[in-house]
This record gives sequence, structure tokens and C-alpha cells, in this order.
Amino acid sequence: MAIATSELKAKIIESLNLQDITPEQIEDEAPLFGAGLGLDSIDALELVVMLEKNYGIVIKDIEEGRPAFKSVRTLADFIEARRSS
Amino acid sequence: MSNAFIIATNAVTSADVAAARLGTRFGRMDLASQLSLLAVEPFAPHFDSFARDRIAIVLAARAGSLPTDVAYWEGRDAVGGLSPTLFTYTLPSAAIGEIAIRHRLTGPNLCFVGDGHEILTEADSLLQTNEADACVAVFTHVVSPALTQKISLPEAAHACAVFIGPNGPGRAGFGENRRDMETFCANLRALKFTK
Repeated sequence: MAIATSELKAKIIESLNLQDITPEQIEDEAPLFGAGLGLDSIDALELVVMLEKNYGIVIKDIEEGRPAFKSVRTLADFIEARRSS
Repeated sequence: MSNAFIIATNAVTSADVAAARLGTRFGRMDLASQLSLLAVEPFAPHFDSFARDRIAIVLAARAGSLPTDVAYWEGRDAVGGLSPTLFTYTLPSAAIGEIAIRHRLTGPNLCFVGDGHEILTEADSLLQTNEADACVAVFTHVVSPALTQKISLPEAAHACAVFIGPNGPGRAGFGENRRDMETFCANLRALKFTK
């Protein structure tokens, strides 16, 4: 079953303790790091923890997850692919 | 203080943190960093009077990073592992980094664990030795509910800060300086001896 991006956005906000931002304000295709949501390397590690905690997905090599962390859309696709593999 | 001037002072509590809006990044910080950042926030307009690499930061945290250390330790069995974000705050000097980043202050910095009395002396020393033209001095005292179960200190969440610059032409008279200094020292006393 495809993961809803709205659900994923809510989990990102919760796990990173982002203030003053709602899931609706995060665009599916906007970059998570750098110019978009402005996340940094610590946030990337926190997202790795979030994936294991919420979806049972373990990323042992951060390079493996790098393409998945481009946007909410790519992260949702990554979760879906790992769940069905 | 020999020839330094108190430009501004401020004191905050956890109630101020709850009402604060300092951007999306604020929420991930530990309480000591949040309090430190809030205590310094009103000084921002004064920073433009100095070169940013000539503004020092001196911080004393009475309980060090113990509240965050305890929170980190208690998360050791969490699914997915310990929080990487929390780990970055298991040093009391993390608050200095947050202040430096937000206000782009790149002068020297010092961090103490313990009561805050030495921060005024150190701030003054930095000015007298010409290592800095101004100094932000911050004292924080955070004891979380979890920490009260481990050490004999009452719960606390306070910070006070002072911005110190060189005395000289254009500054207000000594009376103003003295009044602000007394306010800051009263804050220090209050943080030390009250909940």
C-alpha cells in the first residue's frame, strides 16, 4: 500500500520537532535539505531513526538513503519500495 | 567590572520558551539552548554596533548538560536507537553554538559548568585584554523532572544574560550601568537560591 505523503510529512515534523510548520506547507517535490525545508546532516540521521521506528526500515549506510532523502515524494517512494521488497 | 558597560540584560524561564517563535529549528534544541537563545534575543539590535568577530560569548550552565544527558541515556532502548539530535546537545557548550549561529557571532567563547559568578569576570577580562570588543554572558540553570530523581536539586528552568561593551563616550552614566548590573546580579542570585 502506498504511503500517504501527508502522513509522512506529519512524521517528519514530529520527529524533527519542527516548529511553525504544518504538513500542508511542505510540498511533495520540494528539497528536504538545503534550500527547501532547510534540514541538515543531523536531521538526516534523525530521519534514519524515524524510518526504523515508524516503518521498520533499517538504513545501515547513509549513502544508501541519500537519493531517498531528496524530497517527501522520493522518501515515500523509497519506503514503499522497501516495504514491498 | 573595570571599564566595561552593561548594554542590556534579560532573564527568561520555561514559560517564555513555550511562547517563543524563533523559527523551525528552535524546537529541536534542548531546553538549556532554548533558554540561552531566548535570553540573548533582545540583544540582537545591539550586535550591529560591533564587528561580529569581535563579540565574545561566555556561558555558565549550573547543571552542565545533565538534563540532556539523562534524557539521552533514558532513550538508549528506543526503537531505532538514540536520538542523534539529542546527542548534539549533550555538551553544555551547545548553547554557545546556537547563539553564535543565530547571530553570526564568531568571536572567542568560553563555557563553564557551575555557578555563574565567574562569567562577569571572564567577560570583563576578554574586553580588558582586547580579545573582544563586546561580550554576551549567559547563565543557565536547568534541572529536568527526570534529573531531580538522580540528584538533590529542585526542578528549574531559567536563564539570564547580559551584553557587555566597553565604557566610553556616548554611553550612559555610571548610574545606569550600576542599576543594570544590580538587576543582572539579582537574577543570578534568584537563579541560584530559588526554584
